[in-house]
Amino acid sequence: MDDLTAIDSPVHRLHPLSKLVTTTIYIMVVVSFHKYDLSGLAAMILHPAVLFALGSIPPGICFYRMRYVMPLVCAVGLLNPFFDRTPMLVLGPLTLTGGIISMVTLMLKGILCLTASFLLAATTPVDSLCYALLQIHMPRMIVTLFLLTFRYVFVMLEEAAVMTEAYQLRAPGQKGIHYTAWGSFLGQLLLRSMDRAGELYESMLLRGFDGSFRYASGKKPGIRDILFPVLMITMFLVFRFNRVADLLGALVLRGV
Amino acid sequence: MIRLEHVSFEYESGCPVLDDLSFEIQEGEAVGLVGANGAGKSTLLRAMLGLLPCAGITVDDLPVVRENLSRIRKKLGYVLQNSDNQMFMPTVFEDIIFGPVNYGLSRQEAAQKAGEVMEQLGIQHLKDRYNHKISGGEKRMAAIGAVLSMDPEALLLDEPCSALDPCNRRRVIDLLNSLPVTKLVASHDLDMILDTCSRVILLSEGKVKADGPAYEILGSRKLMEDNHLELPLGWQSRGRTGNC
Repeated sequence: MDDLTAIDSPVHRLHPLSKLVTTTIYIMVVVSFHKYDLSGLAAMILHPAVLFALGSIPPGICFYRMRYVMPLVCAVGLLNPFFDRTPMLVLGPLTLTGGIISMVTLMLKGILCLTASFLLAATTPVDSLCYALLQIHMPRMIVTLFLLTFRYVFVMLEEAAVMTEAYQLRAPGQKGIHYTAWGSFLGQLLLRSMDRAGELYESMLLRGFDGSFRYASGKKPGIRDILFPVLMITMFLVFRFNRVADLLGALVLRGV
Repeated sequence: MIRLEHVSFEYESGCPVLDDLSFEIQEGEAVGLVGANGAGKSTLLRAMLGLLPCAGITVDDLPVVRENLSRIRKKLGYVLQNSDNQMFMPTVFEDIIFGPVNYGLSRQEAAQKAGEVMEQLGIQHLKDRYNHKISGGEKRMAAIGAVLSMDPEALLLDEPCSALDPCNRRRVIDLLNSLPVTKLVASHDLDMILDTCSRVILLSEGKVKADGPAYEILGSRKLMEDNHLELPLGWQSRGRTGNC
């Protein structure tokens, strides 16, 4: 993520506050679509598509990084086809029920929200994001908690990587960690992470940390930083309250 | 500047790690803290900073108690033994300005200070590098920079030259010698202690075994060997020395 946030692109250069506001409203609009409004929701793909293109973020990286979370998000609506059997659309021999459409809608909503969050994190350094959260009057304690969680997760992952390496060096030919070692492995991981986290915290205290970070104040928002959310939010609202996909479809059919 | 009077400390195990320590470090003095593993060197440094509950320590006549910790920690800069645990901000630059900004400098002032320190240490090229992507030696230099940027009145260093290549080790030694601040250096690198400190305190099992001029203490083969140490490499004759 650090490498992605270091890219220089028009999206990266935007003020963190404008990206945060745009993403928050985008997620709210996406979530607000009706469970059968798949065609309306499909138009919302435009926002991440624009950010991928302008932000020089390869979509492959996004989906690769979220490969463990995506299935969970997609699993949310899996039972819908069993409960909602109302026929909604008949395509020859195939009958699409309300359950199938709502399942796909839920999956798409999850994927769009995750992708938008990923794009925000990939184009905005975490410190700038924290600064933006403070700007919208998020309680300082929650922001600090968010930042420290972000940092300590990496401490834990680093410890896990070192321990896994040490284990594998002494267990050649073994795939993964044998279940008999899981207990002690997890226990050691927890103890080591706590020790390291403790030392990191002490190091912060020794350099004057009093419970709140002094975030980079950054630049003031410019015209571009105001125009971006205004245009995007207008687009979201147009997509939300007008059946853009239907209109486009009608136009195409009329043309034909 | 730093005074200890009958300082004792033990962890929960009940075994004393610091046992009735009393000594004083004057302003501007460079003192080496040597001793075998587990002698209590790191514990002593942590106690001076108020990270461990210990009575009997004063820094500039301020007792090391909760109310004074902020002022004491501004005076004492501490370089941890493990730099991985000292660097917590994303980039080297952010880490170096963390302390100065917390102690009231504006970001511009802190950035200027960071620039000076990085130039002093020759690590300008690390400015925008991510902490988790630099080598152990680079991280050590950056950790020293993070402490120096706070303009401490005294430096407490725990193994400052570990993980450094000879060139960077020499750079740190020269830097320590050029700094007109009080220094307390805990290390097993006795040659470095000899190069940087005029006085040495030898700890063993939490007690002060010897306290005096560096050349006298580090040059005493019997004293060193009795305490599981050896003469500095530069002073060792050919062949194996020591009692290990």
